[in-house]
Amino acid sequence: MVNSAISRRFATTLIAGALAGASLLMSTHAFAQQPIKLGLLEDQSGNFAIAVIPKIFAYQLAVDEINAKGGVLGRKLQIIHYDTQSDNTRFQEFARRLTQQDKVDVIFGAFSSASREAIRPIMDRAKQLYFYNNQYEGGVCDSNVFVTGAVPEQQFSTLIPWMMEKYGKKVYTIAADYNFGQISAEWVRNIVKEKGGTMVGEEFIPLSVSQFSQTIQNIQKAKPDVLVTLLVGANQASFYEQQASANLNIPMASSVNVGQAYEHKRFKPPALKDMYVTANYVEEVVSPASDDFKKRFRAKFPQVEYINQEAANAYDAIYLYKAGVEKAGSVDQEKVKAALGSGGICTDGPSGKVCIDPKSHHTSHRIYLIHVKADHSVDIPKVWDDIQPYWLGSVGCDLSKKPDQSQYTPSNLPKK
Amino acid sequence: MTFLVQAYAFLYQFADSFAFLVLCGLGLAIIFGMMGVINLAHGEFIMCGAYVTVLTARAGLPLPFAMLAGTLAAGLVGLILEFLIIRRLYHRLFDSIVATWALSLIATQGMLIVAGPSIEGLKTPFGSFELGEYSFSVYRALLPLVALSLLAALYWLFVRTRFGRYSRATIEDADMARALGANTSRIYSQTFGLGAALAGLTGALYAPTMTAVPTMGQAFIVQSFVTVVVSGADVMLGLAPSAAVLAFIQSLLTKSYGQLIGQIGLLLTVIIVVRVLPKGISGWVLQRNAGH
Amino acid sequence: MFWSAFGTIVLAAAVLPMFVNDFAITNLTYFLVWVFMALGLSLIWGYAGILSFGQTAFFGLAGYTYGVVSINLGEGGLWTWFALVVSLVMPLVLAVIVGYFMFYGGVRDVFVGIVTLSITLVFETFMAQTAGPEWTIGSARLNGFNGMSNMPPLTIPWGETPLVFDGTSFFWLVLAMGVLVYLGLRILVNSRFGNVLVAIRENPDRAEMLGYNVRMYQLLVFVIGSVLAGMSGVLYTLWGSYITPSSMGLTAAALPIIWVAAGGRKDLTATLLATVLLTWLSQQLAVKGNQYALIWMGAILLVVVLFAPEGLFVTVWKKLRGRMRARQAEPSPKTASSTSA
Repeated sequence: MVNSAISRRFATTLIAGALAGASLLMSTHAFAQQPIKLGLLEDQSGNFAIAVIPKIFAYQLAVDEINAKGGVLGRKLQIIHYDTQSDNTRFQEFARRLTQQDKVDVIFGAFSSASREAIRPIMDRAKQLYFYNNQYEGGVCDSNVFVTGAVPEQQFSTLIPWMMEKYGKKVYTIAADYNFGQISAEWVRNIVKEKGGTMVGEEFIPLSVSQFSQTIQNIQKAKPDVLVTLLVGANQASFYEQQASANLNIPMASSVNVGQAYEHKRFKPPALKDMYVTANYVEEVVSPASDDFKKRFRAKFPQVEYINQEAANAYDAIYLYKAGVEKAGSVDQEKVKAALGSGGICTDGPSGKVCIDPKSHHTSHRIYLIHVKADHSVDIPKVWDDIQPYWLGSVGCDLSKKPDQSQYTPSNLPKK
Repeated sequence: MTFLVQAYAFLYQFADSFAFLVLCGLGLAIIFGMMGVINLAHGEFIMCGAYVTVLTARAGLPLPFAMLAGTLAAGLVGLILEFLIIRRLYHRLFDSIVATWALSLIATQGMLIVAGPSIEGLKTPFGSFELGEYSFSVYRALLPLVALSLLAALYWLFVRTRFGRYSRATIEDADMARALGANTSRIYSQTFGLGAALAGLTGALYAPTMTAVPTMGQAFIVQSFVTVVVSGADVMLGLAPSAAVLAFIQSLLTKSYGQLIGQIGLLLTVIIVVRVLPKGISGWVLQRNAGH
Repeated sequence: MFWSAFGTIVLAAAVLPMFVNDFAITNLTYFLVWVFMALGLSLIWGYAGILSFGQTAFFGLAGYTYGVVSINLGEGGLWTWFALVVSLVMPLVLAVIVGYFMFYGGVRDVFVGIVTLSITLVFETFMAQTAGPEWTIGSARLNGFNGMSNMPPLTIPWGETPLVFDGTSFFWLVLAMGVLVYLGLRILVNSRFGNVLVAIRENPDRAEMLGYNVRMYQLLVFVIGSVLAGMSGVLYTLWGSYITPSSMGLTAAALPIIWVAAGGRKDLTATLLATVLLTWLSQQLAVKGNQYALIWMGAILLVVVLFAPEGLFVTVWKKLRGRMRARQAEPSPKTASSTSA
């Protein structure tokens, strides 16, 4: 009799617990009809926080500015942000939450390509409008996705020929050993060959590696004129200090450093001496648009450590969305997607005019060549205006005519 | 001449890997190897040492003193944590996994909140020297010597000093040690603190060569555990051979096939060594000696 | 009476989709997906005393196998189910190989942890660099660090409209599988096999001397636990239509250990509850607590491990039982008055 009393209590507790659990899981019906809901999936903590925190500020800045001027179509913009903690599974969980529970009108987010690819299936399944605002390896041809980040044809087709002309034709690449690094290295290889240069070496380095003595020796043995560094993450960033202490002294070219995680501010000089980077924006750009942007940014967020290119992209993305909604006359996602992809959707951002290309859903960019000097100050020897994201269109991706949901690479082209 | 240069280049690389593995493993060798606490927060002690070193050096302290500050800071943190948390777990060592994992979460996130996602780093001291077509960092060439000296110092500490003997006795059989008059809780505390301080020293030594980010502990943790486990039961005896074997294979593979094969090769070597020597290197050595 | 409570909960869960929205169901499914790996680890570690730090290797292997097989064979007919079976066979084979290598090679205690951790890290490192076009099996690109996606969901052909296991139907499938696995494991641990496991955990040498083939038992339990980890892997891949090498990394490998240890590794029910609770809790913290989420998570885990040494649910259950026993021991006033009258 004792046992059954206990068991009955336990059973009651268990049932009560289960019901409580169920009620906790029940959704809170989103009642707010008035504001336009912008879902944000960005890493506020974890490995990628360095480059992403300025982005989060930038989104907020744009939203506050737009709301101060009356919002979009008379409605205010509201950000719903979940910290994805640089964790792919969080991206998946929160993408579901944003699409199914919060039912947002648009999603902005993801830093690493892996996190973007983790949520793209979810976006596609829900036909969710999604902006990816990071530079990456290129190739996403997806009807639901719009990309404000720079792509290889914008960054490498400018950088590599310039470096080869200035320093010589022998090129050595060290790249992070995953999709972004491998595809970017492929782009570099193709451009070097096209311009009559030689690849004297190519090294792929797993993301967990933080000690580079052997790599440095390999580079010295190959004696390149230009060292292309496509290193990602804090572990790999240690390369710069280590190569400086070994006095490697070879000019470096990158599409990924300086413009995102502002290594030139975090490393002691002269670790990044003679580093050349192509980015669509950095804080050091001097222009009326840039200066005004920086002033407003720092007024609102004085704690920001560096206003990087992703922050500019994030800012532009919000304004591009606004332009799309205004052209469509509604927030209905199919209509906005059609409007955004119809051509002529542009915004005047910190780096100048940025427009969406209807074929690829990517944006044109002004590309700055950033040169880091021995004391880590920066000069900008060259600027390329209005570089189009031409590659996807040239290989057969045309979202204005044919819907698609894929990512292509130079060795994985669309089937004709 | 070029043969000597190539040979030195390989030796340098081997010594560099060796130093990294030894220094990774030192603090953990004491906390896990000797005391049995599975310290998943080992990387965070290293991070603590690195951060304190960088911050004090930037505040004006000369680098050696900054490194000392980093070491002491980590040791202090270790003492506090031992007192508050770890000492409740000695009789249930598996639970130290959860506790130290939790500490690691708190430390990493806490550092991110307090100090931001990154702080400006330090320059590697001492410059470089050239040999043939290569140039090497002086500092990194010295690290293996530092590693060896630390090993020697620890050996001396644990074998020749009273503290060392009491410590080893307590860890081996706490009741007996207590019966013989040792203040076991103080000894546990001091030993743990020493392990934490050594981890901090690793962070301090590598701080001028790496970026200082809250998650930098992740760069050390796997190597630490594999080196310590492969060294076997008697870490003082086994750490150097363990690091030497793993470093040799990793350097050879990295040189011949690149970093990917080097990394995978390191892990596969660990698997094979553990299979061949199920008690680790020191276990095998002791077993052989016991037979004579 | 435990079983009536159990039955009620399962029933409640089964009818839940009528009361809550789609998101709550897919979210709950997400929590349930991890339960299999946790139960497997509870079996291996809690019951047999083997700390395997690399269950995620089997998780990832199963997930990728499902991706490769289902993308190649398509969603017609019952091919997706065939893919499911194959993706459980692969971890089984790997577990037999690894288990044989370890247990018959004399690898014990913490060394098992290091070997299994190394295996999962080798997988992760290797898979992360399979980004190039040469890394294709049939028509399925492994796609390296970016992960493999677009594998078809489980489908049963049914004339014009095949039954696709998505959303609510997938939830029911996972729930059913969970119930079956849980019941199966309970039968297993309460059987002679389970008792031998515990004997081996407590003192392997004595068990050996009593005539039990310790290594065979260890191998068997390791295989069972690893296939369960594989089950989590397949279900995760189906849930998100995505699998990535970071599912096999150090952080991912540590998580099941944390859940199992925090709940009470020696008890299946406690493990199940802890897994669902902790995955739910860490998500809630991330949703509500912004940058302090991870700190709260760490603090809660610390409190649990310090004050609930046998795991949260086991400790709570014992306290409840203790209090109920105490109450039963008090003399009831009725009896007292009747005797004195």
